[in-house]
Amino acid sequence: MFINYEHNNHVYNVSIERRDKHYFITYDNTEYKVEVEEIKPGQLKINIGDRIIKSVITEGEKEKYVFVDGNVFKVKSVELTGQIKTKKKEDGDLTSPISGKVVSVKVKKGDSVKKGDVLMVIEAMKMEYLIRAPFNGKVEKVDFKEKDQIEIGQNTVEIKKREA
Amino acid sequence: MFKKVLVANRGEIAVRIIKACQEMEIQTVAIYSDVDKEALHVQLADETISLGDPTPIESYLNIPKIIKIAKDTGADAIHPGYGFLAENPDFANSCNDVGIKFIGPTPKVISLMGDKIAAKTTMEKAKVPVIPGYHGDKQDNDSLVEEGKKIGFPLLVKAAAGGGGKGMRIVHSEKNLKESIESAKRESKSAFGDDTVFLEKYLDKPRHIEFQILADEHGNVIHLFERECSVQRRHQKIIEETPSPVMTPQLRAKMGRAAVAAAKAVGYTNAGTVEFMVDGNLNYYFMEMNTRLQVEHPITEMTTGIDLAKWQLRIASGEELTLKQSSLIQRGHAIECRIYAEDPENGFLPSIGTLEKVQAPTGPNIRDDSGIYTGMKVTPYYDPMLAKIVTYAENREECINKMIWALSHYVVMGVTTNIPFLKTALEHQEFKKGNITTHFIDDHFKDWTIAKDGLPIDAIIALAVYDSMHSKKHEIVRYKEADPHSPWKHVGRWRVGGKGV
Repeated sequence: MFINYEHNNHVYNVSIERRDKHYFITYDNTEYKVEVEEIKPGQLKINIGDRIIKSVITEGEKEKYVFVDGNVFKVKSVELTGQIKTKKKEDGDLTSPISGKVVSVKVKKGDSVKKGDVLMVIEAMKMEYLIRAPFNGKVEKVDFKEKDQIEIGQNTVEIKKREA
Repeated sequence: MFKKVLVANRGEIAVRIIKACQEMEIQTVAIYSDVDKEALHVQLADETISLGDPTPIESYLNIPKIIKIAKDTGADAIHPGYGFLAENPDFANSCNDVGIKFIGPTPKVISLMGDKIAAKTTMEKAKVPVIPGYHGDKQDNDSLVEEGKKIGFPLLVKAAAGGGGKGMRIVHSEKNLKESIESAKRESKSAFGDDTVFLEKYLDKPRHIEFQILADEHGNVIHLFERECSVQRRHQKIIEETPSPVMTPQLRAKMGRAAVAAAKAVGYTNAGTVEFMVDGNLNYYFMEMNTRLQVEHPITEMTTGIDLAKWQLRIASGEELTLKQSSLIQRGHAIECRIYAEDPENGFLPSIGTLEKVQAPTGPNIRDDSGIYTGMKVTPYYDPMLAKIVTYAENREECINKMIWALSHYVVMGVTTNIPFLKTALEHQEFKKGNITTHFIDDHFKDWTIAKDGLPIDAIIALAVYDSMHSKKHEIVRYKEADPHSPWKHVGRWRVGGKGV
């Protein structure tokens, strides 16, 4: 069985097969032979050579979370169809650092802004986050208005850099 | 004792208070907003009443709504927890007006301690040391220089209208004083349109050390020793411990007396905390008084064996403190780590989502004060603190090791948490040596990121095994062949002319 896992825009190709009580996992041209016990649903005790991996795995809506050695990793099982598309960050794109509510929009399309000017104020968990202009420029597009809900990573305002 | 207490809070502190009430056979009323319908405090309480709209101002901050619920349910006292309405004198007053006991100090004391300048003046009169400074009207350069010399060096010139470091100067000696005052004024004038400045003693290597107070309504006041809370990010504590690594028995006795004097000076009642700034030479200065149960109260409970939440209830119902200062002892060492739904790699910004799995560590002397469960949604409406993990051991070193173990076994999946960051902070050499100041995180973790080596091989193996075990196909074989007895099917365990390996 072949599986591809995606984590932080990197794809890991893994193959696994079961023969009697052992699993054989091949990753990066190395084969690992392990014995496994599922202690509780999602809680694995994996014997590999003379050491033990203890892991907890749970499935979210689209992704899986794996806990090993005190760290949590979020992965997606993916179909491998060529290269992973990672959206290139456009110059002047200002994405929201947080999911929350837009409390005020300080600019409109066509406004000239100076580096450091506050463009939008987003409130989440009792704190306010200011979206500031990264350079001098002109506002091309404002994607949200006051009281809108905004999600992490969504564009707030687009600015075009003023050529020096 | 009270018959029924309404808990005007949510999350772990509401759970903590409800449990204390239940142990004392007091009925409890939980209030909850729409997003907290299934929260732990709601599951636990005897009665539950909805507040509706989750916005804080419409729910946990809505005084008329909460007072009405308390009256309707026949509660005879309200516990405010911390945050929300805990230090709101209007709320305490509203409780008094309808004859419901507010579990905390009087509204007058809450107001006085809420006014930072008035609090300082009161403390100065009670001979409690405050940070020396000049906040007067004489703003000409010569007067300011004179005041500055009285305070001593290093000192801080601060714009009255200031913020974000603008109009602020650290002055190390008299010869730079005048020009620093002038430039701070200029900067303040252009940034804020006002050139009024304050002078304050600058504390080198500042620590935040606080003392827990219990005061009954009969004039008895005791302190329950210190808590070291220097490790902070964005002026919020994340790791607290007791005893403080720099504390000596002499200093503890002196600061404890000052804390008791501070409480007595204002006629304080119930549980409270006196916060001090302590400099590199162990000079201490009153900073403020928190008129509530603190987030970090469990470490005091661990090292003294005293249940602060229960004492709050007893004191509020008029009982006398039976604890005597001379018989209190501090045993061992306790540390608390606050687990937040936040991203340390992204400026500690809150992270929201569904908690896909929560599994807290258990073991001897590990206490988990938590308000979370698998399936819970972390919303943007309230503080992102998820849980407090507290460990207790014979000494500091063992306590740190226990905490590192506990954090390594704390499973929270679905939102980004600060657990890996807390672990790294505890493992830092300066933390282990006890060299911590309020600048600890800024000094050592300015651009901290988790080592980005991608998925570790252990995670890849675990995932593959999990998917294989849970896949619909029963047996996955390497070579599909017609012959079920083909030796190739058993390639790993079969050898020509030999035994199975």
